[in-house]
Amino acid sequence: MTRRKFIQKLVKAGSVVVLGVCWVSRKASPRKFVRAIRIKRYPGSVETLRDIHKQGKWSG
Amino acid sequence: MIVQCELCPKECLIKPGQSGECRVRINIDGVLRTVVYGYPCSIHIDPIEKKPLFHFLPGSKILSLATVGCNLHCRNCQNWEISQANPEDSRAMLCPPKKLVELTKHYGCPSLAYTYTDPIIFYEYTYDTAKLARSANIRNALVTAGYINEQPWKQLLEYVDAANIDLKGITDDFYRRVCLGTLKPVQEALVLARESGILLEVTNLIIPTLNDKPEQIRELARWVKANLGRETPLHFSRFFPRYKMRHLPPTSLKTLDMAREIAIDEGLDYVYIGNILSKAGENTYCPGCKNLLIERKGYTILQNRLKRGCCPACGKEIYGVWQ
Repeated sequence: MTRRKFIQKLVKAGSVVVLGVCWVSRKASPRKFVRAIRIKRYPGSVETLRDIHKQGKWSG
Repeated sequence: MIVQCELCPKECLIKPGQSGECRVRINIDGVLRTVVYGYPCSIHIDPIEKKPLFHFLPGSKILSLATVGCNLHCRNCQNWEISQANPEDSRAMLCPPKKLVELTKHYGCPSLAYTYTDPIIFYEYTYDTAKLARSANIRNALVTAGYINEQPWKQLLEYVDAANIDLKGITDDFYRRVCLGTLKPVQEALVLARESGILLEVTNLIIPTLNDKPEQIRELARWVKANLGRETPLHFSRFFPRYKMRHLPPTSLKTLDMAREIAIDEGLDYVYIGNILSKAGENTYCPGCKNLLIERKGYTILQNRLKRGCCPACGKEIYGVWQ
């Protein structure tokens, strides 16, 4: 093997390792969000609007 | 895939199918979803003094709403039945932003309050409603603990007219032990709110044995004056034994009066006491000539002597949004 071929193989192998590490770290790191996307269905029970005109019993 | 919510300083790492600490922001298939958008658990018309907001449209009614959930877990929470509830176990009403604005108009309220739990955790619902309300000439008020990151806070403040922000204590240790949070982000949110130009009022709930020492109150008042300005109204609020703090007694009137005196002594112009009836602790006095400007009893305005936002006796302009 000539020196040139050896260096080419070394560069290729190095690139594959770097790309692999980038891919794994991207997969491993969390996706970051500030805003959340709404879901249409409420997980609890939904009732009709009521007692709006009354003063709230909650603090604040 | 794990997602990270960067809305508040907790920056929860959320596994698929799980929620953040607030219980309402959930990782579904690698995407952060809010489950409470358009689903308030409580909508009521309150006197604005109940928020409390004393320097913002006094005597007016305010349409007030909340969803379940909170990003703090204060051991003394007065509204823990909704703030610490899971959406799955709760009841809610379908009320998208457009409907909320219509209701506000229908009931003749000049403003909308995002309150009871914490509007930070229903951020997208608050933001979209506030934007729509602004375009309909309705004003927006937040009642919050101010536990939010800088970028979303600045974006939300663009559509906010007034806020009452809790400063629950003046030590990080208090926030960590009682609220499971930290102090610094709250202080930063307060300063940003002040700089944004909104009407800002601050509430400190005084809990016996935990944050009721004169030196703690003095330090808090000094911080408010130095960082938010002497004209920022400060409310000392009475604690009642609730949630995980049923072993402590309610705050005495004497302690609240003492706190008010200290804050006035430190140079704050408007200091109030709340959650209790008192002789003078709910009234607004002119910081210039000390004349009585607004007399209150509970949530009722007995007299409002302000003339176009100024003291009728000495003409001093009084901090606030009066019409």
